[in-house]
Amino acid sequence: MALTTVNRGRVLAQWMREQTTPLPAVSKADLAAAVAAMDDWLDANVTSLNAAIPQPARAQLSAALKFELVGYILMRRAGRLRAEEDG
Amino acid sequence: MGTVYQTFTPDAALFQTTAFPQLKTINGTNYPVMGLYYDGTVSELAYWQFKLRNYGAGVDMIVTLDWYADTAVANAVVWEAALAAITPDADTQDVETRAFGTAATVTDTHLTTTGQRLHTCSITLTGSGPLNSAADGDACWMRIARLPANAADGMAGDAVLIGWQLAYSDT
Repeated sequence: MALTTVNRGRVLAQWMREQTTPLPAVSKADLAAAVAAMDDWLDANVTSLNAAIPQPARAQLSAALKFELVGYILMRRAGRLRAEEDG
Repeated sequence: MGTVYQTFTPDAALFQTTAFPQLKTINGTNYPVMGLYYDGTVSELAYWQFKLRNYGAGVDMIVTLDWYADTAVANAVVWEAALAAITPDADTQDVETRAFGTAATVTDTHLTTTGQRLHTCSITLTGSGPLNSAADGDACWMRIARLPANAADGMAGDAVLIGWQLAYSDT
């Protein structure tokens, strides 16, 4: 289920607060539109994403755990997730 | 006739228990930079308490803000200033409950090129409402806020206030 408008706003607010690198020339409205579009895309493609998960994980993991795992993968891709193994 | 200037630093600011900008010092390449970090989504307020000296009766006050963007490289920020003034021995007003005068705002647009370049903008307090009927010798409180919910405030991320100046004529 897509995030509510309030939750999308909070995602953007926290993301802006935690930014340490310069942003390109975008306004808050531009960024809010990006958040909404990406959240909508996730909603539209959640079935496909779920189908890509091999068994038995697909059946055993809850929706919340699957979202969390996607989040960890994306955070690592963004260079924002540090693992203990990184030293 | 002359112009009186008073300067104010971020570390002289006072805060309420909520909605305050973070006071932070960044170790720059060659010197530390201190500032108040005003949020990009929630309005935050800081206050300064000072004595109004050599103030010409009812003259305008110019509040000049020096700020830079924490992460943004474009778009505008909206600043607001409001003054509360009490005349000692004359005003019977409870000092802890005085209301601010009418707030005044300025919209300042990031000049691009370099994200963390310094900008300056001014807010003019004029008329008895914004000036809160201030008089020479008054005890004053200035509130400076960012208004991120204002439609004109499109700048993402924090706006960092590194200091401000109050100017007014002595006559």
